[in-house]
Amino acid sequence: MAIQRPGRWPGFLTSLSSKLAILGAALILGAAIGETRIPLETVGQVLAMKVFGGSYPVDPIDQGIVWNYRFSRAIVAACCGAGLAVSGLVLQTLLRNVLADPYILGISAGASTGAVAVTIAGIGGGLVSLSAGAFVGALVAFALVIALARAAGGFAGTSTGQVILAGVAGAQLFNALTSLIIAHSANAEQARGIIFWLLGNLSGVRWPDVWLAAPVAILVLVIITAHARALDAFAFGSDAAASLGINVLKTQAILIGAAALVTAVMVSIVGAIGFVGLVVPHAARLLVGPRHGRLIPMTAITGAVFLIFADIVSRIIIPGQVLPIGVVTALVGAPAFALILVRGRGGAR
Amino acid sequence: MHRNAAIGLAALASLSLIDAAHANETSYPLSIDNCGQTITFEAAPERDVSVGQSATEILYSLGLGDKVVGTSVWFSDVLPEFAELNSGIDRLADNDPSFESVVAKKPDLVAVSYEWHIGPQGIVGTREQFHDVGIPTYILPTDCVKDNSAGVDGTRLEMYSTDALYRAIRELAEIHDVTAEGEALISDLAEREAVAVEKAKEAKADDVSAVFWFSSAEMDVDPYVAGRKGVPGWMMEKLGVRNVVQSDEEWPTVGWETIAKANPDIIVVAEMTRRRFPADDVEKKLEFLKTDPVAKEMDAVKAGRILVMDAHSMDPSIRNISALEMLADELPKLK
Repeated sequence: MAIQRPGRWPGFLTSLSSKLAILGAALILGAAIGETRIPLETVGQVLAMKVFGGSYPVDPIDQGIVWNYRFSRAIVAACCGAGLAVSGLVLQTLLRNVLADPYILGISAGASTGAVAVTIAGIGGGLVSLSAGAFVGALVAFALVIALARAAGGFAGTSTGQVILAGVAGAQLFNALTSLIIAHSANAEQARGIIFWLLGNLSGVRWPDVWLAAPVAILVLVIITAHARALDAFAFGSDAAASLGINVLKTQAILIGAAALVTAVMVSIVGAIGFVGLVVPHAARLLVGPRHGRLIPMTAITGAVFLIFADIVSRIIIPGQVLPIGVVTALVGAPAFALILVRGRGGAR
Repeated sequence: MHRNAAIGLAALASLSLIDAAHANETSYPLSIDNCGQTITFEAAPERDVSVGQSATEILYSLGLGDKVVGTSVWFSDVLPEFAELNSGIDRLADNDPSFESVVAKKPDLVAVSYEWHIGPQGIVGTREQFHDVGIPTYILPTDCVKDNSAGVDGTRLEMYSTDALYRAIRELAEIHDVTAEGEALISDLAEREAVAVEKAKEAKADDVSAVFWFSSAEMDVDPYVAGRKGVPGWMMEKLGVRNVVQSDEEWPTVGWETIAKANPDIIVVAEMTRRRFPADDVEKKLEFLKTDPVAKEMDAVKAGRILVMDAHSMDPSIRNISALEMLADELPKLK
């Protein structure tokens, strides 16, 4: 039941290459559009110089903005969108719950607590960065939620309601801790820094972040793609997976570990961006159906393109001011999701 | 020659100020309209608590240090001339004091720098809470000329000016019956202000632009820079310098892309003792400017026109004048 029909592959490949072309176009748009106006010709010259070599008389500030600020930012947005969307997909399938998402499971709440603790409570005495705090917070939260779910038997049987409930409890706990720390000591300026960060912010992204985000995203995508058939089996429950000869616990551990890793890394780089992990897998499912061989790449690319565009919108929607990207993902994502939902009603396979 | 003329002008200006007050003794009961409320004093306060560093330093400058029984909300070290005095005074909190810790000092007056500490939504308390227990609160007029409900640090309705600062000094002096000290302090500050403005005029630096970088939530992200109408905006307007930031918010967040494209002639970076954000450290700011692939291409960075300025002088306080002098001194180098 979980086997791709061979006849589907050529069409799938064509579709993947067209999606990659869309991704490429989105990356170029990400480099071309920003807070300030830089002529398209200049953008083209900078990209050509950097990718193919050669030299054009380009203003060094323009060149830096296009290459070091915007292009790196678009790539990280893509990695982040792909990573968050795919980890949402994995969690939804493993837990057999349409609400499963890194945010529901408390990972982002933990990341927020970690970041806030570092900034406001001054844990680490200025040596630990916001990102490191977020990373540790995300992992601690996820470990706690998984431990709680296991204690409640969430992974032992087919019932996975406990995992969601454990996630809700974990998210509430960490949100409360975050509020406690903010209420305890934040002044207006700090509250702004924190709120801006909690809703996601890509303005600090530079090339070193690409060298972290891209390998992690690719690694996690490879791991998850390699488990596409197992995920198809898990869609029918872990008993069904076990009856197909899959080592249930080991596979669950690998996949959940991969999802936690990619979420924690992305959240630590750009902050807590909601909506992507929850909505993109559903949209992708409506477009290509439930089989993971096609669903995983579709989810990854949709997530990537979606976040690049969300970031572009966040930069230009209010002149001279940058909106937190989390606001945009919610504002743009919800209607887009509704549209796909309505359109896809008859066409979903 | 020009300098003398400037001093003459300033002296004229300050003459009228002295004249206005003519150092009468304060007659009690004294009623003062302060930020929309009338406060009344039966006698000069003997016990002051300050909530805000600028309020503290004004009281010290008026020679009222012996009346101050508690201070709070410190951004940086006290001005060096008050170091000894300040070391003997109880510091209720480095940041926000609790309502009860202020009340426990049984003050006759609470002098407040910011409405967000004591004001309509004050986190220390509302003014009514203090007035209910018979303690008058005086908010520096520098803070109530802005809309503190909009924007994060508030939004200025009009350009900051030292008029509000001088009013604060004059009223605090009157409340404490030290009018002569108040007028002397004001005329000294006003004279230095006039000299700095004159110096900028002589520099004749054409269309000079600047940006004031306060801090950033993370090292690389969009920094908090000075809006159009706050203290740095006032400094720039006084000296004929163009602010590349066009927001009315007190400290808006503006992207490096926008700042780099505007390519300001001067970058002013704030120096503070606080270490909550990495960019609070002036060394980290300088390192960013020199290493960030875009920021390092700005003319001000290449030419080394980076001015390190006390952060507290960018907020309404008596330090505004030394900051104005510092920026004015930079302009002749741009000719």
